[in-house]
Amino acid sequence: MQDRLHILEDLNMLYIRQMALSLEDTELQRKLDHEIRMREGACKLLAACSQREQALEATKSLLVCNSRILSYMGELQRRKEAQVLRKTGRRPSDSGPPAERSPCRGRVCISDLRIPLMWKDTEYFKNKGDLHRWAVFLLLQLGEHIQDTEMILVDRTLTDISFQNNVLFTEAGPDFELRLELYGACLEEEGALAGAPKRLATKLSSSLGRSSGRRVRASLESASGSGSGPILLPTPAVGGPRYHLLAHTTLTLAAVQDGFRTHDLTLASHEENPAWLPLYGSVCCRLVAQPLCMTQPTASGTLRVQQAGELQDWARVHGVLKGTSLFCYRQPEDADTGEEPLFTIAINKETRVRAGELDQAAGRPLTLSISNRYGEDEVTHTLQTESRGALHSWMEALWQLFFDMSQWKQCCDEIMKIETPAPRKPPQVLAKQGSLYHEMAIEPLDDIAAVTDILAQREGTRLETPPPWLAMFTEQPALPNPCSPALVAPAPARTHPMPWGRPRTFSLDAVPPDHSPGASRSVAPLPQQRSPRSRGLFSKGPPRTWLQSPV
Amino acid sequence: MSYVPGQPVTAVVQRVEIHKLRQGENLILGFSIGGGIDQDPSQNPFSEDKTDKGIYVTRVSEGGPAEIAGLQIGDKIMQVNGWDMTMVTHDQARKRLTKRSEEV
Repeated sequence: MQDRLHILEDLNMLYIRQMALSLEDTELQRKLDHEIRMREGACKLLAACSQREQALEATKSLLVCNSRILSYMGELQRRKEAQVLRKTGRRPSDSGPPAERSPCRGRVCISDLRIPLMWKDTEYFKNKGDLHRWAVFLLLQLGEHIQDTEMILVDRTLTDISFQNNVLFTEAGPDFELRLELYGACLEEEGALAGAPKRLATKLSSSLGRSSGRRVRASLESASGSGSGPILLPTPAVGGPRYHLLAHTTLTLAAVQDGFRTHDLTLASHEENPAWLPLYGSVCCRLVAQPLCMTQPTASGTLRVQQAGELQDWARVHGVLKGTSLFCYRQPEDADTGEEPLFTIAINKETRVRAGELDQAAGRPLTLSISNRYGEDEVTHTLQTESRGALHSWMEALWQLFFDMSQWKQCCDEIMKIETPAPRKPPQVLAKQGSLYHEMAIEPLDDIAAVTDILAQREGTRLETPPPWLAMFTEQPALPNPCSPALVAPAPARTHPMPWGRPRTFSLDAVPPDHSPGASRSVAPLPQQRSPRSRGLFSKGPPRTWLQSPV
Repeated sequence: MSYVPGQPVTAVVQRVEIHKLRQGENLILGFSIGGGIDQDPSQNPFSEDKTDKGIYVTRVSEGGPAEIAGLQIGDKIMQVNGWDMTMVTHDQARKRLTKRSEEV
C-alpha cells in the first residue's frame, strides 16, 4: 500500500514538472522545482530526525511545501487554461471591448496575530497532573503565495496564541482573499509510550484518563495508518506528528484597517479530534494594505500652473502625482532630493477633474482643471500641459488614480504603515517545561560539585563563583531548591540522557513521566506522602454515570 | 441553559408548589431526578448544554403530586425551598428534596 502511494506521488511530481515545462513559465517553474526539492529534503529530514522538535518542524515544512505545490499547480492550470482560451478565442466579438482598467497592485501585510483560547476547568483541576501541549502554526495564503508563521508550543499556561511574525504579501489586488488556516498537532508525552511493548502500551492508553486516553488512542491509530497490524508507537520513521486543521477564516479588503480588529474563526475540528484545542473562536490581527498608487509616483511631468488670481501668469513647475496629492516642485530634481514642493494639490474622491479649453487663453487649449471643495469654498487649479499627448497621459493617470481609489477604498485615505518583517529566527531549541524543577535532580550522594556542574552547563561561563545560596546545599543536598528562578535557560534536555534520577515536584505542573527507578529514595518524606494521597483524591477521573433517583 | 462567557443569559424560572403525598412511611413528591456535579452531564437527555451539571426531572409519576402541581419531565430544578440545586451532588439533591420536616 505504501509503495503504491509512493509511486502515485512520484507520478504526480512528474506530471507537475511536465506541466510547468510545457507552459514555459520560467518563474513558476523555478518556484515549483524549488518546492519539490524542499519537500524531498523535508521527507528525508523527517525520516532521519530523532528529536521531537525536529520532527515537528520537518512535518510543518512538509505541510507548507505540499500546500505551496498544490497552489502553484492550481495557478499553472489556470494559466494553461487562459493560454488555451486565448489561442482559440480569436473571433471578432471577443476582441471587441477595449482592455478594461485594472486596479493597481498593492502590498498586504498581516501582523500581531493573536488567537484567544478558552480552557475548560477540567484542564486545571481533576487533571491528574497531565499537561497537554500542542504545536500550532498558521498558514496564510493569498492568491498563489503561501506563507507560514513560526511554530509555537501551547499549553494551558497560555491564554492566547500569539504570533510575532509580520507576513507580507506583494502583488495583491484589491479583490484579494487572504486565507488563514490554523494547524495544530497534539504533543503526547513520549516517555510513557516510547519503547514500551505493545501490550503495555494498550494497557497504558486505556488506563489513562478518558480524554487524554482518547487522544492517545486516536494518535496511535492515526500513526499506524490502516489500523490493522502492530501498533506503531510514535517513532519518526512512521511519519512523525500529524497536523490537523483546527480553524480557518478568510479576510478581504473590508477587514483592512490601520489598527487591530477581531475576526471570527470558523472552527474546523471538534473534540474527538486528537489535536483539538479549545479556541475561543476569534482571531485578532492588524491587516494593512498599501496600494502601489499610494507609495509610488504614477505620473510626472512639466506643467504650467495658473497662479491664483492672475489670469495670464503661468508658472512652470514639475508635477508629480503620488498617492492622493499632486506635488508641484520648482524643478524636477527637487522631487528626488526631498525638497518641499511649491504647493500641493489634493486629489481625493471628492476631487473633480476636467480637461477643457480656456476661453480666454489664446493658442493654449491644453488645460486641465482640478477642483476641490474645502468646506464651503471651491478651489480650482488650472494646469497646462506641453502637448496633447502629455494632456492625454495626465488624464489617463488621473482616471487610473480615481479607479484605484474606488477599488482600494479605505486604503487610499492614508498610507498605512508596513514594517518590514524581521528575518525569521531559526527555531530555538525548545525547553520542555522551562522550570528549574525539571532540569535539576540531585542525588544525596552527589556533591556540591554536581550542582555547580549543572548550573555551569546551563549558564555557560557566567557562573564563576558559587552563589551564596549554594551553602544551603551543604546541609541538605537532597532538596533541589532553586532560589534564583532566573536561571531558566533553554537546555537541550532531550539530547543528553539524564545521569541522575528524576526530580521530585508535586505541583500542578506535569511530572515527567519517565521515572527512573532510583528516583524515590532521596525524597523528603512529606512530599512523597502528599503525592500519592493527592493523586488519589484527584484521580477519580470524570464521572461516567448519570444517576436517577425518585424523590 | 447554557452559559457562554460574555453572552447574556436568558432564563424563564417558574415556581412550583408540590404538596408531598404520604405513602406509608414516606412523603413522596412523585418524580425522579437526574444529574448532579458528580455525574456525567453528557448523558443527560434533557439538557441543552451537555456540560450542564444541574438537577433535571427525568420522570413524573402519573397522578402524583408533582404532576398535579405542574412539574414536567425535562425541567431543571433551580432551588428547593431556598436550597440551591444548581451546584449540588446527586445525593445532596435527593436529600434536600426528601426532608421529612418539609411537607411542601
